[in-house]
Amino acid sequence: MEVLIKLDRVTKTYHMGEVTVNALRETTMDVFQGEILVILGPSGSGKSTLLNIMGGMDLPTTGEMIFLGENLSQASDHRLTSYRRNEIGFVFQFYNLIPDLTGKENVELAADLVDEPLDVHEVLKDVGLADRMDHFPSQMSGGEQQRVSIARAAVKNPRLLLCDEPTGALDYQTGKLILSLLAKINQDHGSTVVIVTHNTPIGDMAHRVVRMRDGTIADIKENTSPLPPERIEW
Amino acid sequence: MSALNNKLWRTISKTKGQFIAVVAVVVVGVAVYIGMTTAYYNLNASKEKFYRDRNFADYYFQVVKAPQQVTKQIETIPGVAGVTGRIQKDVSLVNDFNKRATARLTSYTMPVEYEINSLQLLTGRFFAAETASQPGEPIRTGDIEILVDPQYAEGNLLDFGDTVNIVAEGKIVPLTVVGTATGPEFIYLMKDAGTLLPDPKTFGIIMISRERAEEILNLKGQINQVLISLVPGADADRVARQVEDVLEPYGNLASYPRKQQLSNAMLEAELDGLRASSRFMPAIFLGIAAAIQFVILSRMVRSQRLQIGIMKALGYRSRQVILHYTGYSVLVALCGAFLGTLFGLALSSFMSDTYAMYFNLPTTIGAVNTQAIVYGFVFSIVISTLAGLTACRSVVTINPAESMRPEPPKGGGKTLIEDWLWLWHRLDTAWKMSIRSAARNRGRFGITTIGVVFAVGMLVMSLFTLDAVDYMINKHYYQDQRYDYLVRFASPVKESELLNIERVEGVQKSEPLLEVPVKINFNGKSEDDVITGLEPGATLKRLSDQHEHPIEVPGEGMLISQRTINKLGAKVGDMVEVETLLGIGPSRQTPVKIVGISNQLVGGGCFVSLQQANLLLQVRQLVSGVMLKMDPVFSTGLEAELEEMTAVSSILSRQKELDNFNKNMEASLYSISVLVIFSLLLGFAIVYNSSVISFSERQRELASLRVLGFSIKEVSGILLKENLLQSLLGVALGLPFGYLMVKGYISAVNTDLYSLPVIIYPATYVYAVLGSFFFIIVAHLLAVRGVKQLQLVEVLKNKD
Repeated sequence: MEVLIKLDRVTKTYHMGEVTVNALRETTMDVFQGEILVILGPSGSGKSTLLNIMGGMDLPTTGEMIFLGENLSQASDHRLTSYRRNEIGFVFQFYNLIPDLTGKENVELAADLVDEPLDVHEVLKDVGLADRMDHFPSQMSGGEQQRVSIARAAVKNPRLLLCDEPTGALDYQTGKLILSLLAKINQDHGSTVVIVTHNTPIGDMAHRVVRMRDGTIADIKENTSPLPPERIEW
Repeated sequence: MSALNNKLWRTISKTKGQFIAVVAVVVVGVAVYIGMTTAYYNLNASKEKFYRDRNFADYYFQVVKAPQQVTKQIETIPGVAGVTGRIQKDVSLVNDFNKRATARLTSYTMPVEYEINSLQLLTGRFFAAETASQPGEPIRTGDIEILVDPQYAEGNLLDFGDTVNIVAEGKIVPLTVVGTATGPEFIYLMKDAGTLLPDPKTFGIIMISRERAEEILNLKGQINQVLISLVPGADADRVARQVEDVLEPYGNLASYPRKQQLSNAMLEAELDGLRASSRFMPAIFLGIAAAIQFVILSRMVRSQRLQIGIMKALGYRSRQVILHYTGYSVLVALCGAFLGTLFGLALSSFMSDTYAMYFNLPTTIGAVNTQAIVYGFVFSIVISTLAGLTACRSVVTINPAESMRPEPPKGGGKTLIEDWLWLWHRLDTAWKMSIRSAARNRGRFGITTIGVVFAVGMLVMSLFTLDAVDYMINKHYYQDQRYDYLVRFASPVKESELLNIERVEGVQKSEPLLEVPVKINFNGKSEDDVITGLEPGATLKRLSDQHEHPIEVPGEGMLISQRTINKLGAKVGDMVEVETLLGIGPSRQTPVKIVGISNQLVGGGCFVSLQQANLLLQVRQLVSGVMLKMDPVFSTGLEAELEEMTAVSSILSRQKELDNFNKNMEASLYSISVLVIFSLLLGFAIVYNSSVISFSERQRELASLRVLGFSIKEVSGILLKENLLQSLLGVALGLPFGYLMVKGYISAVNTDLYSLPVIIYPATYVYAVLGSFFFIIVAHLLAVRGVKQLQLVEVLKNKD
């Protein structure tokens, strides 16, 4: 499989006052095109930092992040913005919808950014929100908000979908529904899906599972027979 | 960008109170700008057109009398473009109600088009040059036709064919009104610089043919005034000196350039004031509006840090996000400029109507000033955009990844006041919270304080006009001028003749005076002024020095006016040469010592003893007028008796002047009220916005206090304290700032003719404080309405 992102000895250090936090230490790994990759680890293990660097939201302190052969580890803000705009879709744990926009408008907000977005209605229908898309986030359940969030990420038809604890704030059934949607996007559009979670069973749906501990990769496992999310139990 | 536009609309509708408040401030700024600029432009353009069309003179020369032919000689002087010689003389006028008034009889040679200061017919027809009567025959009603100025006609209900009687050369002459007319020198009609306001009942212009003027004033072939226009670029002073040389043999009385011509000077003073106001008032309002927008948008960017992070994560560029937020202020500017234009046009038409009441302009240009509208839009948009961009610049630094994490708490720490332990320990918790919160939000605190400073300053300035006028009335009419009547004679009379007046029933006291128009020369400089001779110990006219201390009329030497001594560059103790300019007898020159300075608010202000005034003219025991103190019961009788005396040229009644003054003040009350409302609005907008923001920022904290058991009243009390902290500081600084604004305004509009004193009564400061309490409390109450609806559980759950 072709490598989409190559991380080479990436470190990330934060300075918070007098405290220095080493969020990532010398992390090296690849993300392949079209795969579902699940990054597992307890909180503070550096998995969100890794996701942020992959998504161009943050730059590595040292090391290299290479996207389809282009080294983005020192990229300008302008280049990173284009990268996020054209290549990345984000799904967050707390949905992070714009409260002043309806579900549909939140999706349009992303669709407006790219030249050839998917059809907003179709995407909302795919996530099962055809009837609820004119509601504001405050009028929706958590699951509905997360579906808007996925639609918002998917509408740009990005090469890479980055999901930070997408089920973290949801109940069991709703969580499974969200994972199915992500798997469907992976299948239908061929988007690479990276899911960060502390919930180990979710790893069962992945093609590969990365375990992180203390800011570094503990191991990477390939999963030859990923389970459909409906069959995952936790 | 449609989704972003939707977001912008919803943001505005959520903050509509704030939006409306800041738009209102922009509306006032733009309306005042457009209204005043348009009024300025229109008034100025009307003036310019009138001056051009009617050949407004560049220089005036007054002589005792000179032959008409002298104008031919003046025409040959290089630099002179045109010359008109004419007769202009103040005569007593007995109108329909048998009341004494003054008319400025002005002669015109037909056809008037070629004259300098030609006249413009408004109603009726031109006077006939010919008369029905034969030379030597007495003049009968209907023989002499005249035109009068429209305000005099209106004030005295004169119509076509009506008769007015003047006293000329000791005889009553009937004149027939055939219409109304005006001229470029009669736009603002005041008798002289000593008059505070126009009073059409007691002063008017009579326009008459040259032939008839010569006849009734017994000045056959003579003129007493020369007007010249200059070729462009000519050296006015040099030309004037040459003209004076030509006129020397005929008794030069006065010469002055256009800018000292009374009507023009008053008009220019009004224009100057208008221009100053049209600049600084909009600057204040647009500036404060920008500051409010800055505060609103800074807060918005801070509170929507997460949303901005999401937008950036989605791929929006900082520029797009900044433009989105700046869109808020651009919309403020557009709404404000649009409504401001509508109000501004209404304001300019209101102002033009008011000017039409005071200024005699034949054509008032009522044009819509497109340039002012365009500038109004441009100014408000540019200022708002800059405020928006500045407030949103921190968008650039928001990192999408960091924005998802809770913002680290702001650097807390102690405030300065906490070091003053004795004070700090005496404050209750609410005060401590308020002080710390203010210290954390220093930018907003500062901007709110400055806004309140301006609002309070403007309140002081709006109310100041009343104080200044009250002070002037009090000083002029009650302190300086203690007589009830000032009677002036057409020409000086023997002091003994005053007995006729003194014996009139009800006269309690009379004191004579001799007014001598003079030219005061010192060190090559010269200034025209009027010297008044009073008896030492006179009580009906009080004099005061530059420190407002009462001073006596000196036995010898002269008290000189502050303005004249400044212009001459002389000082107390210097000898000046006084040259008399009275139209009778030859001009005399006498050295006089300056022994003090007299401070008169209005009119000329040089004083000598009555005896010294007589010496200046080399005469004895002459008086030109008398001041009377009356038992009010007999006023009507006195007036009637005085009207009968032909030697009397004018009767000034203090009561009537006061009435006229108060009538004129009513118009000012409108503009003062409008200014007060604008100031309150300004203060309200800034305090309201700051309170709303403070409330929304602290919702969680306040809800926690409610959960702890604080009552709604106690919670809003905390907000009120924070609010008062910044507002009261603003009020305290605003009062002295108001004083400075008044000083600045006065120096911008000061004229040669009069100066408004920088007088602000303590009561005005009290009113300004009360007014500011009003806007602070109203703004506070509206802003914290939400305290009652605080959803305790919801607010505590909500992480944004």
